[in-house]
Amino acid sequence: MSSAEIRITAEPIDNGRCKFLVSEPVHDGGVRRFASPQEASGSPLVEAIFAIPGAEVAEVIVSGNLVTVVKRSAAPWQVIGKPVGAAIRSALAGDRPAVAPKPAAPVAAGGADDDTLYDRVAELFDSQVNPMVARHGGRVELIDVQDAVVMLRMAGGCQGCGMADVTLRQGIEAMLQQAVPEVKGIVDITDHTAGANPYFAASKK
Amino acid sequence: MPCPSKPRLLLLLPTATYRATAFVETARRLGIELTVASELPSTFEQAQPDRLVTLDFSDPERAAEQAAEFARRHPVAGVVGVDDDGAVVAAVIAGRLGLRGNPPAAALAARDKHVQRRELARHGVPVPRFELHALDEDANALAAGARYPCVLKPLRLAASRGVIRADDPRGFAAAFERLTRIVEQAGCSRSILVEDFVPGPEVALEGLVIDGRLEVLGLFDKPDPLDGPFFEETIYVTPSRLPAPAQRALIRCGEAAVAALGVREGPIHAELRYNAQGPWLIELAARPIGGRCSTVLRFAIRETGNEKRETYSLEELIIRHALGMPLPGLEREQRAAGVMMIPVPGAGVLREVRGITEARAVPLVEDVAITAHPGEALVPWPEGSRYPGFIFARGETPEAVEGALRAAHGRLTFVMQ
Repeated sequence: MSSAEIRITAEPIDNGRCKFLVSEPVHDGGVRRFASPQEASGSPLVEAIFAIPGAEVAEVIVSGNLVTVVKRSAAPWQVIGKPVGAAIRSALAGDRPAVAPKPAAPVAAGGADDDTLYDRVAELFDSQVNPMVARHGGRVELIDVQDAVVMLRMAGGCQGCGMADVTLRQGIEAMLQQAVPEVKGIVDITDHTAGANPYFAASKK
Repeated sequence: MPCPSKPRLLLLLPTATYRATAFVETARRLGIELTVASELPSTFEQAQPDRLVTLDFSDPERAAEQAAEFARRHPVAGVVGVDDDGAVVAAVIAGRLGLRGNPPAAALAARDKHVQRRELARHGVPVPRFELHALDEDANALAAGARYPCVLKPLRLAASRGVIRADDPRGFAAAFERLTRIVEQAGCSRSILVEDFVPGPEVALEGLVIDGRLEVLGLFDKPDPLDGPFFEETIYVTPSRLPAPAQRALIRCGEAAVAALGVREGPIHAELRYNAQGPWLIELAARPIGGRCSTVLRFAIRETGNEKRETYSLEELIIRHALGMPLPGLEREQRAAGVMMIPVPGAGVLREVRGITEARAVPLVEDVAITAHPGEALVPWPEGSRYPGFIFARGETPEAVEGALRAAHGRLTFVMQ
């Protein structure tokens, strides 16, 4: 497929975060999160995104067809999105993989490595989080833990729900802080616009 | 563990809100303790009782009792309501807990269109001539005595739901019958307002009331004529292109309305019209602008000596004000900004929306947010009240912004089942 045939849809979450849905896989090896240009070394796509002038990119998360970019600058996504799109097309057209395979799990601060954290978070999700969201027809999938940051995806009644962010921050994140305090953050990689059966649909002015 | 030195905000979020992310993420950024209160329980409420609570929004006194009980365990420093009902509940809670807020009577007057009209008229604020009627009255008799054109509206529904213009007795009777069905379906008061239709351009005024003084945060033009028969809104663009004297008159009218209703603290969203007779106050709500429209309001502080600016959202100003935190500045950024509430394309079940990428590619467009989900039934006005999405744009002039919003909308195709 030529780079011209690749379709990319930008979905800003807010002025700091934007998801880019790509019409072909960007990275098939699970989720990868990059929190600095140094971590991006060896992954041409992520190197290029961190190098976008004026964007002050803070974080890039790549999973399947989805590239999530977190920036610090006040520049609108209408401006930053274009070079991100160009970087995605260029990387997919290149000879090297756009994103390098995930290296061996590093040891996170506090001594808990990501694999151990993954197991503890997965246990929490299975035993507590999912039984709770199931009451509203929802489901939360643990995608990965990288550098002590949890990446998750919401489904069912949670996907596209008007109160999804309340569930995420006031419920799931709070439980993680209490049960797995080594977790440093949480990233929702859900495509909420595709949610076909949200438990609460927004309708109020 | 929560740090006791952090102030706690009680945020009243109805489960049907568009506003959850904007307020929750702002609260996180500010580093405050946040408790979200809704009218229905969260599935996490038992696990996180200091962060999630259920309040009876339909009974403000009972909600205030519940909030007081909560505050005994988790002291609350501020309360914010984001919709009309929440504004009333927030006012009663603020009174009970001694927090910054509106007198409950002011919030109630802002929520009920008849009480509001009566109070505004009593204080000399220009409002359309109005009459209160019951749906049990004889529609034909009312139609025979009405002045035309007139507008029939329910007392409490939001987003212009149920608001219908009638130009003659036949139209009145049809509007009356239709409004009766809408009110019965919504289960709200069986009283309605019949008021004169006020011709002229309409604006929206966003403000923050601080100790009874209105600080104007933005004046939006609504360039699509709102002449009925239904009043689905579309484009908001700021700054206003009305002549400066008209803008000053509209702002003075907003100030008079704030004083007349007794609003003392917090955000307001007012809708006004302007014609040869001057400004008219159509409605004032003691809450911020609805939907996702607040995204276009950005407030800036320019650092002296360089171009770097810090920007603040409307939600940050509202939270800071409620908690008594310093306000960074109330001046909107210099650029023009606008939002289109995407019109409902017709009745039916949405299958997909095409052209989103193309719409986002229109110069000046910052985002296209489709909030309707596949499989959702779209209901046009006056029965409906939910926009399928929003388009946001920012540019150097209001004309350019309006053009970008229209161009982006022209690239969207709603495919219905």
